[in-house]
Amino acid sequence: MQVCFQIQRQSSGSAPQLEQFLIEVDPRITILECLNHIKWEQDGSLAFRKNCRNTICGSCAIRINGRADLACKQTLQNELDLMAHAQRLTGTTATEKSLSECPKIEISPLQNFPVIKDLVVEMKSFWENLEQVDPFVSTASRAITDRESLQTPAARAKLNQVGNCILCGACYSECNAKAVSSDFVGPHALAKAYRVLADSRTEDAQERLQKMSADLSGVWGCTRCFNCNSACPMDVAPLDQITRIKTMALANPVNPELRAVRHREVMIDLVAESGWIDERQFGLRVLGNHFRDVKGLMGLIPLGLRMLWRRKFPFTFHPSEGTPVFQSLIRALRRQK
Amino acid sequence: MPTTTPTSTLNPKAVLTYAYYPGCVAQGACRELYLSTQALTQALGIELVELKKAACCGSGTFKETSQLLEDTVNARNISLAEELNLPLLTHCSTCQGVLGHVDERLKEAQTQQPEYFAEVNDALQAQGCSPYRGTTEVKHLLWALVGDYGLERLAERVTQKLSGLKCAAFYGCYLLRAQKTLPFDDPVHPASLERIFETVGATPIDYSGRTQCCGWPISSYAPEQSFKIAGGRIGEAITAGADCIVTPCPLCHLNLDSRQPEVEKVVGHKLGLPILHLPQLVGLALGLKPEALGLERHIVSTLPVLQKLGIA
Repeated sequence: MQVCFQIQRQSSGSAPQLEQFLIEVDPRITILECLNHIKWEQDGSLAFRKNCRNTICGSCAIRINGRADLACKQTLQNELDLMAHAQRLTGTTATEKSLSECPKIEISPLQNFPVIKDLVVEMKSFWENLEQVDPFVSTASRAITDRESLQTPAARAKLNQVGNCILCGACYSECNAKAVSSDFVGPHALAKAYRVLADSRTEDAQERLQKMSADLSGVWGCTRCFNCNSACPMDVAPLDQITRIKTMALANPVNPELRAVRHREVMIDLVAESGWIDERQFGLRVLGNHFRDVKGLMGLIPLGLRMLWRRKFPFTFHPSEGTPVFQSLIRALRRQK
Repeated sequence: MPTTTPTSTLNPKAVLTYAYYPGCVAQGACRELYLSTQALTQALGIELVELKKAACCGSGTFKETSQLLEDTVNARNISLAEELNLPLLTHCSTCQGVLGHVDERLKEAQTQQPEYFAEVNDALQAQGCSPYRGTTEVKHLLWALVGDYGLERLAERVTQKLSGLKCAAFYGCYLLRAQKTLPFDDPVHPASLERIFETVGATPIDYSGRTQCCGWPISSYAPEQSFKIAGGRIGEAITAGADCIVTPCPLCHLNLDSRQPEVEKVVGHKLGLPILHLPQLVGLALGLKPEALGLERHIVSTLPVLQKLGIA
């Protein structure tokens, strides 16, 4: 069949440009094979990474039709099915005709990385961020003396999902937090941090947990946008692993004064008190820390005044009629903990 | 106009009735959302039975403390709709994503993890609450309009075409990616908001930020990063030519509208882009008065939108 590839091309430092390639291929081949076809038959200067061709090495992560994926994992037919599914769901028919005649596949490099050439990106920050979480089980545990470091199948099974990470960079590309924060280590590093934390052989779990939940470089920098979960081609679900680290950190917070920790605790307290969140109380307790955080309180003043001025300030608050139920429900769940 | 629409199984002539979950923000800092949802549904003849005994869904943070907490609190919220034998209606992307995902998880747990399912229901029944049964569905107002009410029927109700108004959709992460399956939209290339814009005569503006994060979840403790994200989105919409952003999420609204002055400080220039709630936009097309939709209760004035439409 005939397919039109629209590939974003650029050299380092220059503006990206879209280039169109029309190819005649079997729809059962992968997107990576399509790129090979273009490179070998039409333009040898097209740059992209590839290696294993079998979703093992993670080299060929690129953006396909607006999402990060492995070029070697997705067949052309899968991609066409996805496009048709989206069109059916959204009721958009404008491109249906062109889809049956000559579908267009948009290809671009991963985001959140500088482009070296075309689809090849500079991954230095990605590896540096990974190193920040010390992505190995501690050296002491690995110093094998007379016997192996044994692990039960159940303990190993805990690591299966996150152990599937092939460090392709798809999650990093789509991460909203990474896009605005160079300090944030990124979803790949936090998924790996959880993998080490959850490993029964790890001896320094507490220190690791402390480091990952101390500031915005770790789990509290995440905006919970779900992009990493959606993008991961290996179902590692980095956001779920970030959530697991947060659960561990909240169970025994090293710094209960941390505003991100208070944010969570105040939410639960307020639901127990009144069912719905009284935003005025939320602001005072989370940002103002019960009048202890003067800077936080001062930050609320312009917002409060502005809301008063625009008739947006909530003067009244009505607790939920179901408050007693939620109060005792939360009390019971807290006791269980 | 699109021709193939995901068809609803509901009788088009039946009165649509929902168990309405207002959420916290619409009862507080975005009261105009509460007002405009009421005004819109009334005008369309959609009946809402407000869940006055419901509680906050946790906006995705409860499960960070405990998955059981998130599941149990929201199982209670959903069971309140089940008691009424009605679908639960949300008008917040975050409430939708949290409640919708809990509903998905628990329906799956019913057969896959019966012990966990029993744990959730035991906790509810210990408080004298009815158990969660998995007999209803959780639906955002946006999906109710597109899927249940229907765009053709909505088009018939339009009295004031919003011609010439360029609208940039802002979906909200939880509406697109928190649930495993979306009945009426595609998570990567959603179009339901844009189809509503077309139905009410407005012009959809395309920009890549429409499916991305607004920064709200970290705004209380990472304002610089949060407002940088918001500034990026608003700037992108302005560059694409938008007259306003329209969102089905009051939390996105808080970061994009209420915090826009702080966002402007972070990005270093004036933005001044009005941010509308979805029912406000549709309400205008039905000829509802701007005051009835709370359009004066915004931090960024919505006057330019009304002027463009010749209403003010």
